[in-house]
Amino acid sequence: MKGAVTRLLLLMVLLAIISRAQVLRADSGTSVTLAAGALLLCGLFAGKVAKGFGLPRLTGYLLVGVAVGPYALGFIPGEGVKGLDLVKGLAVSLIALVAGTELRLGLIRRVGARVALLCAAVCAVTFAVCFGATLALKPVLPFLTPLTMPQALAVSALMSTVVVSFSPTVTIAIVQETSARGSFTEFLMALVIIGDLLVMVAFALAAGMTRASFGGGFDIAGLLSGVGWELFGSVVVGGVLAVAMLVYMRGVKRELPLFLVGLSFAAAEGGTRLHLSPLLVSLAAGALIVNLDEREGERIHHAIQRAGLPVFALFFAAAGAGLKLDALMTVGPAALLLVVLRGLAIWFACRRFAPTHDPRLKEYLWMGLISQAGVTFGLAALVSRTFPTFGPQVEVLIVAMITAHELVGPVLTRRALTASGEVRTDEAPGTA
Amino acid sequence: MQALLVFLAIAALSLLASSPALDPSRFPSLARLAASGFLFLLFGVVLGPSVVGALSVEDLGHLRPVMALGLGTAGVILGLNLEPRLLRLLPRPVYAAALAHSGTAFLFVTVPLAAPLLLTSHPSLHAAVGAASLLGGAASLSSGHFAVLAYRAGRMDRARGLGVALLTMLDDAVGLAVLAVALMLSAAPSAGEGLGLVCLAVLLGILCGALLAFLTHAMNDPAELATVTLGMVALVGGAAAYLRVSALLAGVACGATLALVGGRTVERVARALGRVERPVFLVLVFLVGCGVYTRDWAAWALVPGFVGLRFLGKVLGGRIAQRMASGVLELPPRVGYALIAQGGLALCLVAEYQFLVPGGLARRVLDVVVVGAVVNELLAGPAFRQVLTPMKPRLAPAAVDDVEVAT
Repeated sequence: MKGAVTRLLLLMVLLAIISRAQVLRADSGTSVTLAAGALLLCGLFAGKVAKGFGLPRLTGYLLVGVAVGPYALGFIPGEGVKGLDLVKGLAVSLIALVAGTELRLGLIRRVGARVALLCAAVCAVTFAVCFGATLALKPVLPFLTPLTMPQALAVSALMSTVVVSFSPTVTIAIVQETSARGSFTEFLMALVIIGDLLVMVAFALAAGMTRASFGGGFDIAGLLSGVGWELFGSVVVGGVLAVAMLVYMRGVKRELPLFLVGLSFAAAEGGTRLHLSPLLVSLAAGALIVNLDEREGERIHHAIQRAGLPVFALFFAAAGAGLKLDALMTVGPAALLLVVLRGLAIWFACRRFAPTHDPRLKEYLWMGLISQAGVTFGLAALVSRTFPTFGPQVEVLIVAMITAHELVGPVLTRRALTASGEVRTDEAPGTA
Repeated sequence: MQALLVFLAIAALSLLASSPALDPSRFPSLARLAASGFLFLLFGVVLGPSVVGALSVEDLGHLRPVMALGLGTAGVILGLNLEPRLLRLLPRPVYAAALAHSGTAFLFVTVPLAAPLLLTSHPSLHAAVGAASLLGGAASLSSGHFAVLAYRAGRMDRARGLGVALLTMLDDAVGLAVLAVALMLSAAPSAGEGLGLVCLAVLLGILCGALLAFLTHAMNDPAELATVTLGMVALVGGAAAYLRVSALLAGVACGATLALVGGRTVERVARALGRVERPVFLVLVFLVGCGVYTRDWAAWALVPGFVGLRFLGKVLGGRIAQRMASGVLELPPRVGYALIAQGGLALCLVAEYQFLVPGGLARRVLDVVVVGAVVNELLAGPAFRQVLTPMKPRLAPAAVDDVEVAT
């Protein structure tokens, strides 16, 4: 622990020297590689420090990213962090691929219906609470004040849909870190994954309604085809990827981690270009592989686990560096109110609707649903791009909420897994 | 998307390079280019902005972080090879011999080519001298992979093969020193400022190397060790690119510092880097190839001069080296012919030069060296046969061309 702190401090001193040396140059060169190296190293040692404090490593990655990033100490320039979007896409794809390998047909048959029902209940309650709160805040939220009531209703619905979303990336990273296994863990992972699928569909509908309320017309056919393409197209492309992976794994049998990284990279980039969901593409690929050939699914799981440490450390440290602390200051009170209400809604829904056969679900499941990360970021950015009149302000509010959720979510997820008694080990070598 | 394209191109080429389609007995030159990685260089030239245009100049600008990472990695690997104990053990005549063959080639190329560079480009005198000296620096480098392959296959005596390899390893220092001088002359408005930038790169590398030694000290988990190594390589290359100083020199300083103070860690770090060496090198040469501007006729006009003068310099320098190292280092007869292959460091030097010295002259230097390196690689095979003395093969002859080499 002491050694990790010393190493982290030395790294930060080196970064400080580099950022001071930059002042000597009139114009700087590219900062993306610097950001990648610095965040990877700082993330790794901050993860060790966090573990020493009894926190998830992921929290360490995030916090150090915030600290050295452009919005706090400023050792890493904003352009560098922005340039790491490619890495972020890769990490989401890898994480989704691992998550997919957890979705065995037996599990879906066993808990699928119960998870879907609970997911619908949690999403509905959370949506209702956030929707009501947002509407109630209309007089104080600058982007809602000038809108007519139908417009305000549509925008509130759109924003609340985004706010409902969970974070499969955080959940899977914590599950990997703690090597948790069991029915509670399976239930939690299935719930966050299905929850995000629901949110994606709901988001497309809410965006269509919002567009209509602003005079863009309600194009049902376009809406359905868009949603259909994103969902079914992603599953089909995921299926193709799964076949490619199986062919490679059975035929070539070497350099699997490198191949998986390359394919995930292609899924992330290609999926985005084709307006598919990279998360869903990789999820479908992983699920198909594990259900077609369980042994190969296990191989993928272990290969990604081996390559997971740098990917997770870099991904979450970069996510931390991208958190706009100034946004937290400007829309802080409203964001914090929504954070609290969302948390209460999730807690209430879990207590009220969770299956009774396992008392742990009622007690601890809500803690695993607080995190927000990649999907929420993506949807917030989409709102900003699609609705330039009010979207950027909605994005600021949501990013402020994500900041709060990123800081408390991983801790709560780990606590939920620990309390459920399914954490097998505290230190799996080479994992996140 | 550009990165995706590069990745897919590299993946396709990797498959091609390892496929039976490139049978050494059917296409010896192509197989040799594939083994040395220069096939990727040609593929980069074809896909680059000046031929097919699959990657635009803007795309290449976006891929600069990848280039910085590649140069940093190459630098650290070079620096790690500077084994202090081994270097101390080498007798002076070995250094003198290495300096003789590389210095002769350097002078043979630098002096005659400085005039056409000055006349055709109209740069300032020190910029032309810098560019010409970099051409000479690239010419001074040799790759020992033919010798290594030959002694592994039993076609050359092991001691002689190692002697050639040792000479080619030592001439890397000449190339790096020339790069430092060329950057001093051309990368800043004044030579003093240029010297400051070179010193900054070296200082950055030393700091990173010392820190890497400390970070990896007593680290037992291989995944963590690999992560820290890759992170530090990215940091040193990235910091150099950010400060617009040489990533290659910073990397070399980092690797050399680690080799000096790293103790037992050095071997494990080298092993971790060894796993990414070939993919990084292939991506790097591909990107260097993309930077070639094929429509610069003045550069094409310089290529025969560059290749011919270098050839003469190596042959003559080889003779001098043989005389100087006689009795100390066993070298094959006509050793100059074994030094024709140029290797990857020459490409790194010109890529770094173009990275830090923008303008037509740096691009012309890159064009000449890239085309020259491919020609030299093709010439190297027949030239090397002049060196070989008939011996009984110890291994199957087919193994000769099956061995993959990175540089």
